[in-house]
Amino acid sequence: MSQGPILELRGINKSFGPVQVLHDVAFSVYPGEVTALVGDNGAGKSTLVKCIGGIHPIDSGEYLFEGERVHVSGPRDAAVLGVEIVYQDLALCDNLDIVQNMFLGRERKSGLVLDEDTMEEMAAKTLAGLSVRTVKSLRQHVSSLSGGQRQTVAIAKAVLWNSKVVILDEPTAALGVAQTAQVLELVRRLADRGLAVVLISHNMNDVFAVSDRIAALYLGRMAAEVKTSEVTHAQIVELITSGRSGELGLKNGNGAAS
Amino acid sequence: MMRAGPSQEEIRKHNLGTLLRHVHLGGPTSRAELTSLMGLNRSTIMALTADLTAAGLVREELPRDTGRAGRPSLVVRPETARVYVLAFEVGVDRLAAARIGLGGVILDRREIVRERGPFDMGQVVGTLAGFARQMRRRTRDDTVCVGAAAAFCGAVRKSDGLVRSGPNIGAEEVPLAEELSRRLQLGLPVSVGNDANLGALAEHTRGVGMDCRDLVYLHGDVGIGGGVIVNGQLLGGHGGYGGEVGHMIVNPDGRPCGCGSRGCLEAEVGERALMEHAGRYGEGRGRDGVRDVVDAADRGDVVAQGALQRVGGWLGLGVANLVNIFNPEMVIFGGMLREIYLGSAAQVRSRIATGTLAATREHVRLRTSTLGDDATLMGAAEMAFARVLADPLEALSRVAN
Repeated sequence: MSQGPILELRGINKSFGPVQVLHDVAFSVYPGEVTALVGDNGAGKSTLVKCIGGIHPIDSGEYLFEGERVHVSGPRDAAVLGVEIVYQDLALCDNLDIVQNMFLGRERKSGLVLDEDTMEEMAAKTLAGLSVRTVKSLRQHVSSLSGGQRQTVAIAKAVLWNSKVVILDEPTAALGVAQTAQVLELVRRLADRGLAVVLISHNMNDVFAVSDRIAALYLGRMAAEVKTSEVTHAQIVELITSGRSGELGLKNGNGAAS
Repeated sequence: MMRAGPSQEEIRKHNLGTLLRHVHLGGPTSRAELTSLMGLNRSTIMALTADLTAAGLVREELPRDTGRAGRPSLVVRPETARVYVLAFEVGVDRLAAARIGLGGVILDRREIVRERGPFDMGQVVGTLAGFARQMRRRTRDDTVCVGAAAAFCGAVRKSDGLVRSGPNIGAEEVPLAEELSRRLQLGLPVSVGNDANLGALAEHTRGVGMDCRDLVYLHGDVGIGGGVIVNGQLLGGHGGYGGEVGHMIVNPDGRPCGCGSRGCLEAEVGERALMEHAGRYGEGRGRDGVRDVVDAADRGDVVAQGALQRVGGWLGLGVANLVNIFNPEMVIFGGMLREIYLGSAAQVRSRIATGTLAATREHVRLRTSTLGDDATLMGAAEMAFARVLADPLEALSRVAN
């Protein structure tokens, strides 16, 4: 737990035309921990994540990975580093089975043909390693899976590639209670196995249930990065809604440049 | 009489038990790994393995392709299909039995819903004995039952497995161990332990708390039970009643508790408190009732949300006290507390953040049970395996006679 961050952003700025979405944002992610990224709608959570994933180039600021300055100019660069993002809409193909989805675009080949056996074995190993027992067959189409199972497959797909940082955008948003519990436990297991996990969520119970740290964005600024064990629900709600809470938060709470 | 040290025979007994425990808990292990794990030389490991193999407790095999050069070390596996124990659970809402093989694998299990009402020992023991008979009838001839134990939702005397009280199931002074031993006719004494104590043991040996030497396990059934592991050992107390965290008073003027007191953690967090706060008392019971409340809260029902928040606040207060007293590395929520914790974590953790010393909470991890509904049965199995792990050959020879 006392190790340094695996991924660290410093002074990140990002504008879309005249609109500056991220102001001087700092953000650190640690191996073995779940970092919850919270903030109101429009606070810049998705933009920040897309900057990390290389989808949006940053205007200025430093991107450090394992302590080294890196340049991430596209999703491939992020994938090479070991950063995987699971988006809310999951981006799974309904007409393909679980194995095909997990290897989509990165299929294993044996000579000229696809190496189905190896891919199936790797997929099975990954799911077993995550203690996923709810999926009956790896060859069933994704369209036949429940919401929670689809989320599980999407997460397993992210983990398959020896990734080091997994970012989950609202993984429980569309799920019922039983499936939410399973996904939260899966999120926790990923971190307990040494991965750095970033969890974006609006549900404060989900955030407090599994996170080690909470990073609160307010109007494009990082209001606070705190340890979950040191804060209360009320403080986090204040940080989200006004950017500060007592000693915590932005010095100038209205979000204007100070 | 003074003795210089343990005899050869005692050392051998100890080593046999230790080796068997490694294989039982860690699964198939190569001789080379055992050598380094136990700090013994190779020929000793070989001799110990040979003894255990001859007794039919383990089996040696060549490993599958190791991918390395050189002669591979033989892998020692537990004889899971041959050596087993019977584990039972007496809960408020269910009676369960399982046949669990060496290595902690559930080979067979039976379960029945228990109707709430007065406690009838004859019926409970009869049902469990019936399950045991059915499961034993389906085993092969060369299998051997090396122990039996039951988890009970109440206070159990360590010395003889007498149930002292179980307010939620209506039991008082019930000689459960004696009666089960008599009805099972295994020629083995049956041990009985508190369900949450055994759940703690299971999560510590095979669950989420495997790497923790200090943990607190909280088990929600109708009431709240607890098991505390300190420095790798289950805290039993003088008579074995230790760890009754459900009867820790968190609210002196609070709700009446089945134990006769007021404001116990169980009275403020248990099933009845949640259902009453949610205005659903009498509508649903057990895990399903609790799940319905959590589900309603998730869908935006403000009454259900309020009920979960209240209960979560009390749960957080109880956990805060436990964190201050025991400074655990992990607190595990099992049984129906899994749903309650996940549905009210914001309240629970806020209370812990404000109600504990910074030093005691610093490294505490809050987790849900990984063994789920099997935790108590798995714990009972560990209790039943204790004798064969303490002295493998003697225990086995006694069973054979």
